[in-house]
Order: sequence, then C-alpha cells, then structure tokens
Amino acid sequence: MLKNNLRKVLLPTILIVLAYGFWISPDFKEIAAGVAIFLFGMLALEEGFKAFTGGVLEKVLKKTTNKLWKSLSFGVVSTTIMQSSSLVSVITISFLGAGLIGLAQGIGIIFGANLGTTTGAWLVAGFGLKVKISAYAMPMLVFGVILIFQQSRHLKGAGYILAGLGFLFLGIHHMKEGFEAFKGAIDLAEYAVAGYPGLFLFTLIGIFATVVMQSSHATLVLIITALAAQQISYENALALAIGANVGTTITAILGAFSSNEVGKRLAGAHLIFNVTTGLIAIVFIHQLLLAVDLVSAYAGIAETDYTLKLAVFHTLFNLIGVVVMIPFTNHLVRFLERVIKSEPDQYAQPKYLNESALEFGDAALEALRQETARVYEKAVGVIAKGVSLDKELIFSDVSMKQVIKVQNKAVAYNIDDAYEREIKSLCSAILDYTNKITSVEPVIGRQISRIRLANQSLLSALKDVKHLQKNMLQYIESDNPEISAEYNHLRQRIAKVMRRLERIRLSEQESETSILSLDALKLTLETNMELLQERLNGLIRDGGISADMAISLMNDSNYTYNIINNLIQINHNYLKSEEGLETEAEHMIALNKDEIDSVLADGQKQTEQR
Amino acid sequence: MKFNKLLKKLKIYLDSDADQLRKEDEGLAKVLKKLKKKEHALKAKIAAEKDKDDREQLQQELKVVHSQREKGIKLLATLREKKRK
Repeated sequence: MLKNNLRKVLLPTILIVLAYGFWISPDFKEIAAGVAIFLFGMLALEEGFKAFTGGVLEKVLKKTTNKLWKSLSFGVVSTTIMQSSSLVSVITISFLGAGLIGLAQGIGIIFGANLGTTTGAWLVAGFGLKVKISAYAMPMLVFGVILIFQQSRHLKGAGYILAGLGFLFLGIHHMKEGFEAFKGAIDLAEYAVAGYPGLFLFTLIGIFATVVMQSSHATLVLIITALAAQQISYENALALAIGANVGTTITAILGAFSSNEVGKRLAGAHLIFNVTTGLIAIVFIHQLLLAVDLVSAYAGIAETDYTLKLAVFHTLFNLIGVVVMIPFTNHLVRFLERVIKSEPDQYAQPKYLNESALEFGDAALEALRQETARVYEKAVGVIAKGVSLDKELIFSDVSMKQVIKVQNKAVAYNIDDAYEREIKSLCSAILDYTNKITSVEPVIGRQISRIRLANQSLLSALKDVKHLQKNMLQYIESDNPEISAEYNHLRQRIAKVMRRLERIRLSEQESETSILSLDALKLTLETNMELLQERLNGLIRDGGISADMAISLMNDSNYTYNIINNLIQINHNYLKSEEGLETEAEHMIALNKDEIDSVLADGQKQTEQR
Repeated sequence: MKFNKLLKKLKIYLDSDADQLRKEDEGLAKVLKKLKKKEHALKAKIAAEKDKDDREQLQQELKVVHSQREKGIKLLATLREKKRK
C-alpha cells in the first residue's frame, strides 16, 4: 500500500524537481536533455537489434561469442575498430536486452572492450591519430530515419540501430556541452597531494573528469597535457588514468537504465571489473611502475616519454584486470544474478510445477493441469480486458446484454504487455515441464500432449484477441449504430462462452460430464457463425455499413470464431472427469467437427420441415 | 523352455490388451449412464423453461447429448464385439 502511494508521488515529484532544475540552470537542462536523448538512443538500438533476433546476426553473435576467448576477442576487435569502449558496452547491453546473447558472453565482450580501449592510448600517443566516430552521428541519424520508414523488417531494424547510434552520440554531445561549465573547475595543479591519499584523490578526479567529459579518451588527453606542463606528477597521472577507466563505466550504467535486468547485470559486471582493476592498480602501483619501466625499456621507449609510458601502463593494468577476473567470470555471473533479480511481480512464476512430482506420472500431470488452469484464468482476464469487459461481471449472474450495455466504452489495454508479464513465462514453464516427465504410460503420454495442445490454443486465442482488439476499440463506440451493434455482438458472444465455460469448469468437481458439455458450445459457435454471415450479407446489401467496415467485420468475426473455438479447445484438453477411465471415455465420445455439423444440419432440416 | 517363455509373454500381452478393453468398457458405460441422466434432466428443464432463447439453447444441448449417446452406444457395441472375438 505504502509502496504504491510512494510510486504515485514519486513521478510527479521527479518531474517537478526536474522542471525547477531546468528553470534555474540551463547547463542542467542541457545535461538532462543529453541523458534523455542518450536513453532514447538506447531504446532505439534495442528495438533495432530485436529485428535481428533469430536471424543472421544472432547466429553470428552466438558463433563469435560462444567461448570466453571468442567473446574477449570480439570485445577487443570491435573496440579497436570503433575506438570507444563505451559504445561497445552499450551495444552489448542492447544485445543482451534483445536476448541475442547471454550474460557470460556479454561479460567476455566487456572484458575485451577494456583491453581494446587501450589501443586508443597507443593510437593517440604513438601516431597522434584520433578516430572520431561521433563525426558520423548526424549522417547515422538521417540514414537511420530513412530506413525506419521502409517496409522490410531488417531494413527497419537497421534504421533503428543507426538512429539509435546517432541519438547516443547526440546525447553524449549534449551532456558534454552541459558539463562544459564544470570543466574549467578541474585545475589539476590545485589538488597535487603526494602518496596514497594523492593516488585516491586523483583517481576520484579521474572518475569525475571522465563522467564530466563523457570520454576516457578526452581524460587521457587532459592527463598527457597536464603531465607535459608538469602540473601533476607521473604517479598522479597514472591515478588519473585509473580513475578514467572507472569513470568510463558511467555510459554503460546510464545505458542500463533503459534496459532490462540482464542489461543491468552487464553494467554491474562492467563496474565491478573496472573498480576491481582500478583497486589492483592502486594497491600495486609501485610494482606496476616498475613493470611499466621494464616493458618501456624493452620496447625502446625513452625514459621521459610519459605519453607512451602511460599507454603501456593503461594496457598493462587492463591486461592484469582481465587475467585476474577471467577465473571469476562464472562467480561474477552468479553474484550478479543474485543481486540484480528480475522484478518478482513482473513475470508470473509457476506455482504448481515442482521438480519432485516429475517422477510420478500422475502427480506431474496434476501439477500441469493445475498450472494450465492458472494460466487459463489469467488468459481469460486478459481476453476480457482485451474486449473492454470486466471478468467479474462476465462471470456474474447479470444478463449478458446488460453486461455489454453497462460496459459500452472502449478501454485501451496492452495485450502484448500482459502476455509478456502474465502468460509467456508460465506457458514456457509448462511446455518445459512436459518435456521433463519421464513416465512412459500411454495414457499419461496422451494427456500430456493434450495439455500441450491446451497451452497452444491459449496462445492462439490471445493472438486473435490482439487482432480483434484493434477494430473493436474503434467500432464499439462508432456513430454508425449497425457496426457498433455488430462489434458489441462479437463481444457478447465471447463473454457468453466465457461464462458458460466457467460454469462447466466449476461443475467439474461434481459428477458431470464436463468434457462432453463443451460439444453444445461447439454447436452454438457454428450456429452463431451462420447467423452472423446472414446478417453480414444483409448489412452489405442494404448499405448499412461501408465496404471497409464489412471487411473488418468479416475478419473480426473469424477472429471471434477462432477465439471461442480455442477457448473451448483449451478446456477440452485440460478438463478431466472424476476417474481417469471416464476422461478417456469422454474424449472418445466427444463429437468432432463433422459430427457437430451433422447435428446442425439435422436441426436445420427439422426447422425447414416445420 | 524358450517356447514356454514366449507363450508367457503372449499371455501377458493378451491380458494387458484385455485389461485395456475392460477399462474402456467400464469408462464408456459409466459416461453413458451419466449422459442418460443428463438427457432426462434436460428434457425436464426444457418443459419447465419459459424463455424462448433459453429453451432453444437447452434444445440444442439436448440434441448434442443425444448424438453423444448414440456415438457412445455404437462405440460400446464395437468394443464388446471386439471382446467377444
């Protein structure tokens, strides 16, 4: 309760504080806008990568990252090419967010990116070369947006990726601009302190400077300049470089805000890696200095060439970090999974599928049946909301005409979201469980395949409701009374079946033939379909509805037919009788489509004769 | 010895087949009894129902139950025929 109230208050408070901040500080406004654009870029990037799930990109990524050395090399190579570890880390976060790779592979890439980023120092120091990928930001945005307008799923995906990258750079640019005012405050000479306190202080300054400038490369340039001007000692310069390495994780952390828990875990791994590496470097700074001198002497780097020595240091301490952290990769994955959990309420978790029941066919079957009943109840709730009705009212004793009359307003409802949160995880857990059952009894096997079918029908019903919802929301409140009446009719039919099914379900415990009771529903379904066809022909003939409306109604009456049919099928496949013998007998007697049709034809003949 | 073993296996197989038939017979008979009851109950309900729509729905249900009983009876007859053979 308190949590809910807090949530309600939190958003308006944040908005007010931000608005006040924008009013008093233009710099703050610029930084916040930068963060917003950056996050928007992340969303676009993830959207883009989603278009490639199950395709070539996923295959390539899986092949190139399926072993630790491969994911490491992937990180090194991609960062060397792009010259931005931040970019590689945010792209990796979006790979994870889109489900293209796993956390362990992501961690490998991040480790590799940390090594790859050291090539930047070599390029700057050795060749004075500076690759500036941000120069491509604007063209990326333009090309991206053009591609987004294309029909092809892959072109659209590529468009989102390009636009996402463009927005990332644009966001970073605005953040930099906003921080420009603070940049002047970084006067390194002012803070010169000797010994370990100095080391820690300069590490913190390095972190701050990198956050402010949004680039560890820029910090490195600053360090080299300060070192050349003898504003700081060589040791302090190294501490700054360590700080820059930690500070660079801010981009990944920022990127993870828009990602799911897997993306957040990766950002966590990035932070842990860089902080640990930084700590190791600080603790063993003297040994590292010695090692840098040795390597420099071996490589023929002059004693006073601090720029190149800094590059050696940068490479060395990141290399040590990778070597130290690799053995702990799995521990790191487990730790992050424990610390950053999926929100418990976000995705429904199975309640009845326990592992111990797996060995006993009957117990496992009962667990599956109960879980299917649970997911069915959830699905019925989603379907009811999908057609703008209240489940409780559908199941009440109020006449159905009255139910529809009372709820005659279209209520928008996100079926996809509800499916992700409530249904998907349960259905996949159920299917997974059916595969684990070891019983070989043919009766159990038959019933398991029925449970699978029930879940399959459930998913189809939800998909059809999603299609139906689109026009239904538009037409139930239409000014044209004919089309509005027809769409309300469709809602009523679905609701009626849901009510009858609920009553059959409730009578399941009593000595009823619940599976066979479903046949009457099948007959009603066929009868109603014929009646609707007749009405539809009349409406088209009399010009009561436009051609567009008629096409929508034709499609949607088919969706309604499928929804009802699937709802019946779900119950047909998971309901049971008092005894196993009777369940099987009921399945034998249940009428098939042809038999239902022949009952229907007999009824029509009798009516005609009368 | 080997022949005896084979005979034993055959007997178990035939017995399990017979057991299966017995179970099916039992199940069908029970369900048919329930359907018969249901048919009577529906007839009584139809006679008492005043609302036209509801009566039509009940009549449809009756037709379905009747067809199910017919199908069940045929199935049971075939099953018993099989058992006799």
